[in-house]
Order: sequence, then structure tokens, then C-alpha cells
Amino acid sequence: MAVNLKRTSAEDSEGGRTSRRRMLGWLTGAGLAGSAGLSAVSNFVFIKPRATYGQPQRFSVGKPEDFPSGTRAILAPRGICIVREGSKLAAISITCTHLGCTVGAADTGFACPCHGSRFDQDGNVTGGPAPRPLPWFQVTLAPNGEIEVDKDIEIAPGSYLTI
Amino acid sequence: MSLSTPPKASFLASLMDFPRNVWKSIFRNPLPSNDLERSATSFTNFFLHIHPVKVHKNSLRPLYTFGLGLISFFLFVILIVTGILLMFYYVPATSQAYDRMLDLRGSVAFGTLLRNMHRWGAHGMVAIVFLHLCRVFLTGSYKKPREFNWVVGVILFLLTLFMSFTGYLLPWDQLAFWAITVGTAIAGYAPVVGKDIQFLLMGGTSVGQEALLRFYVLHVAVLPAVLTLMIAIHFWRIRKDGGLSRPEDADPVISLEAMPTVKASVLEPKKTYGLQGLVRGPLTKVGEIPDNTVFSWPNLFLAELFTFVVTLSAILVVSLLFNAPLEEPVNALHPPNPAKAPWYFLGLQEMVSYSAFWGGIGVPTIFVLLLLGAPYLDRGPGGVGKWFSRDRLLANTIFITFVVANIIFVIIGTFFRGANWAFVTPW
Repeated sequence: MAVNLKRTSAEDSEGGRTSRRRMLGWLTGAGLAGSAGLSAVSNFVFIKPRATYGQPQRFSVGKPEDFPSGTRAILAPRGICIVREGSKLAAISITCTHLGCTVGAADTGFACPCHGSRFDQDGNVTGGPAPRPLPWFQVTLAPNGEIEVDKDIEIAPGSYLTI
Repeated sequence: MSLSTPPKASFLASLMDFPRNVWKSIFRNPLPSNDLERSATSFTNFFLHIHPVKVHKNSLRPLYTFGLGLISFFLFVILIVTGILLMFYYVPATSQAYDRMLDLRGSVAFGTLLRNMHRWGAHGMVAIVFLHLCRVFLTGSYKKPREFNWVVGVILFLLTLFMSFTGYLLPWDQLAFWAITVGTAIAGYAPVVGKDIQFLLMGGTSVGQEALLRFYVLHVAVLPAVLTLMIAIHFWRIRKDGGLSRPEDADPVISLEAMPTVKASVLEPKKTYGLQGLVRGPLTKVGEIPDNTVFSWPNLFLAELFTFVVTLSAILVVSLLFNAPLEEPVNALHPPNPAKAPWYFLGLQEMVSYSAFWGGIGVPTIFVLLLLGAPYLDRGPGGVGKWFSRDRLLANTIFITFVVANIIFVIIGTFFRGANWAFVTPW
């Protein structure tokens, strides 16, 4: 490879050959770097799944009669706790807002076994590292009379469905 | 030179010499009995030629290195071998993985032993690589010209941790599932790209089949390949940076009288340089100058063999005495209470229990950046090659503070945390 690394001032001032060579070198470098960047990006596109497998985010949990007043029913497979007080009904997440462990029922509300976050009956943080209260999910009464929970829609804590 | 044709070797004689000729064709040199043959043995053998022919006496002082880097490498070799063997029986599917663990324990010959060796070897590698990092820091060995090899070393340490992290999802037991749920959630706290990294790692929104497959691929293919490449660079640079670090006074001071004086006019302007002129490190010393090096054969090679035998024996003994734990199969609905990571991540888990961002991302990132930047921030030339040198009091104090803090967090996390991560006393 005859690569001329030494440039004399004469060549520089002459322009012509040298600047064309530098231009070609620059274009080659940019082309190679660009291709490498594109390949790297396409790898990330490849490993990012377009379809994922999982449970539906919107599901039915049963009739209102299944949850008499005073119920606090943890539906672990769904990741929610159904709360019924009188005619008011709500679905509170039981996935810890800290690092995603499943919280359990405790005397004062919920407690996380992983890092010690504690929540009150309404999911507000009362201790530990959890940064946010447990989210409440939208609950609706479907036309067939069943309670439907949509985990994609978070609602303000304290907003109940009145039956 | 004789013009007569050499006598034809009889077939019988060839047969008689067969084993000897094969042996000689493979090992070109006889067992060395003089310095020339010692040199030849070192650089004609593929496995030996990554060593220098002669090695500095300081590099062989057991109390200087404790052989920690070598032990790390031998543990890596043990993990590769046992890991490949385990792959013959393992299936990365949520429906089979746990049963395959039970098979290893119950019906595969040497299955328990191999799994134990792999598990304890992994724990050992994390510990020894960290101790090696401590040795290199506390002896100031990251200083010029070894700055970049220190950076490679820090990356190797992180890769080792990531190897162990991806490895412990594979048994698909309770510890595995919840540790990875928590670990990937920590990644989610990283700014800007956190959620994307979490999604890419898990291949979905929760830890399931996709995550198991991804962690398997990372654990058995991607990370070992990267780790092997980085180890090769690490070793290569040790040679190019002039061998292991040593104090300045370990090399003889060449007095001016001993130096041959050369008049400037004698030096030719168009001098060409051979490869020797490019190699850094101690110059080849000829003649009267005192020499602090010894031949690698047998001094270095025996030390390495000894280290390997001790490492392998230790892993074997531990693996025969203690079985690798296997918890209940995954129950995605009920985390164990308390849910604890392996001991080397318990410091992290304890910090995470105060703040997910600062414990899981902030403080570790600061620590890693300080480690990576150490050779470029601490430019003082003093204190290289000595343990706890006075010249490096500040750097060593900062480093030891971080290490001790982490050890305290590990101890709290291990012994002082009970159900719901509440503080308990172990007595």
C-alpha cells in the first residue's frame, strides 16, 4: 500500500490532487462508519420484539355480587386487588412501584417482601423506597353485568365505580 | 557436505522411531537443560509463547500479586468447561428448565458435581476478580503506561457481574425469577434509555419465556465471546506495557559510567528500526548490568501450574462438600419473603431499598466512572508497585471507603434483613 502520509506545503497550496484524495478518503471513512452505524441500529431493531406474549390488559373479573361490601380480594394472576366498600368498587395494582415485586396484604394495607416498601389500604406509600403510590385501574361495568378492569388506563386514586 | 545419497531409512526403523518422531514434531525442543533451550521452549510452544522468555523477579513475588489475576482466568476456564457440559442437558424453556435442574441433580452422572462447580466457580470468580481489582488499585498499577489495561480490567469486572446476573435466571427457580424481575426493573430506572433497555432485556413487559431465552443467549454466547476477546486484549497489553507493575527501584539503576557513550555524529540520520526498537519494557541487557529477571521456564510456569492446581482443587473440594442451592420452582404470584439476591448483589439490594435510582443506578455509576477515570485523574507518578504506598494515600482512602461501605451494605443485607426487608438482629 503506497499511502503518502507526508504532505508537503507545495502539494497543499497546489490543491488539486491532494484535496481530491482527502475528499475521497473522507467519503470512504464516512461511508464505512455510516454502514457500521446502520448495521448496529438494525441489530437493535431485530432484537426488539414487535409482538409480545402476555396476558390481556383488559379483562373481566366477575359479577359485583362476587365481591360483597368490605371485600379486599387479591387476584394474584391478574396483579390487582379488588376493593369493595358499600356500593363503591375499585381495582388497585399489587405490583410494587419500586422494582416490580408482587406486594402482599398486610394489616395496614400492602407490604412488599423484596425491599420493604409499605402501602396503606388505598395504596399510598407509608414507608420504604417505593417512589409512587400503587396505581388504580379503570373499572367499568360491562353490558353483561360483569366487572371489567383495564390495566392500560390508570385513574386517580380514590375514584371508585359506584354500582 | 557429502554428495552421496543418505542411507534409505528402513521401514522398520521408521516404525521404531514413530512415537519419538511424532513427539518431536509436536514439541520441537527437548526438555530444556540450558538457557538457550529455556528460551526456545517458551517461544516455540503455542500455549507458552504469550509469556515472556524471562520474567521479572518482582512479578513472581506471591505476596505482591497473590496470583489473583491468574486465579480469575483459571476460574473462567473451569466455568467455560463446566458450562459447556451443562449445556448438553439444559433447555432454556420455562416449561423444562426447572425439571432439567432436577434431572442434573437426580439422574445425570456427575450432574450435581458439575452444577456445583459451575455455581461455586462463578461465586469464586466474582470474588477473585474483585480482589484482583483491589490489588491492582492498591498497588497503583493502573498508572502510566497501564491506564488503558486498567480500563479493560474494569470492563472485565462488569462483564463478570453481568455473566453471573444472566446465569442465575437459568435454573428458573424463585431466586432466579425475582432477582431478574428486580434487576431488570433497576435497569428501567436509568435515565432516557432505561425503559428501552428493560424491554430489550426481557423481550416483553415481564419476565417470561422471552426473557429466559434472551438471558440464555447472553450467558452462553454473547458475553463469553466478549469476555474472551477482552481477556485476550488484557493479556496482550500486559506484555506490551512491560510486564506487571513493579516499584521503580526494582530495576537496577544503570550508572552513567556503565552506559556506552555514543557521539552524536556516529548516529546515522537514516537509521532503520527493528521490531526490538518498538517493544516497550525493560531493554535487553547485555554484559555487566545486573539483571533482575529469571527464565519463565521453569520459574513462571511452575508458579502458574501450582496456582491452577490449587484453584481447581479448591473448587472441587467446595463442590463436593456443598450443594448449589435450588429453590422452589418459579411462582410469579408470590415472591419469597424476604427475596434476597446472591451475596455479591446484596450490597446493591440494600442500597436499592433506600432509593431505586440512587442505589441501583446513581451510586454504582459514580463508582464505575471513578474506577474508569482513576488512571486519568490520578496522574502522580509515585507509589507504583507498592501496597498502600504513602504517595497514594488519598486515592487509596477513597477506594477503601467505597469498598468498606459496600461490604457493610452486604453484611446488613445478608444478616440484618428479615421478612418484608425489615431490620432484624441475627441473634
